[in-house]
Amino acid sequence: MDVNPQQIQDKARQLQENLLPQIDEARRNLEDVNTRVVSFIRANPGTCLLGAVAVGFIIGRIASRR
Amino acid sequence: MTTFQSNPGNGGPSSNGSQAQGNQGQDGFGHRVDRIGSDAQQLWDDARGAVTDLQDTLDLKGRVDRNPYLMMAAALGVGYVLGGGLFTRTTGRLLRLGVRLAALPMVKDELIGMAEAALRGVETGARMAGTGNAGGSDRPQGSQV
Repeated sequence: MDVNPQQIQDKARQLQENLLPQIDEARRNLEDVNTRVVSFIRANPGTCLLGAVAVGFIIGRIASRR
Repeated sequence: MTTFQSNPGNGGPSSNGSQAQGNQGQDGFGHRVDRIGSDAQQLWDDARGAVTDLQDTLDLKGRVDRNPYLMMAAALGVGYVLGGGLFTRTTGRLLRLGVRLAALPMVKDELIGMAEAALRGVETGARMAGTGNAGGSDRPQGSQV
């Protein structure tokens, strides 16, 4: 198979140019979700803690039955 | 707080002895109810004070503000333990996974050190072999890596 290094380089560059905006957008989305989650937890600490305890309790029950 | 007033008596000077005794009994009952009410109030105040002290000591809101994810994980762990998941195979697996993840950096450093030592050994061996060949020795070289 004939491999042209220039072609590979071009393809890699094109892939990078295509992927970089998507990665940036995904990072921005994740940061946004993180900010929202942290704000929600800070706004409702009791609810979130009780919910987490309940979820842990259910997981513990499931794990103890196995 | 409701206070039970004792009956002042409506008989006046013409009231007989049994009515006086009844008034005395009502008076005692009212005092008892008053005391129970004040004790209940005191208990309620103490309980509220204890809860406030506990809240100040734990400072859950402040901790959640500082480390939200850590507190959520801690709450999840507390629920897991309360749910009876502590002494289970899942816990064992999780612990083993955690130990492996924690030991990963140490193992990585150790492996990198070993690889560097091996590379140095190979380079030194190659240099020595080159020096030996340059000296014109006909002797066969030892095991070369």
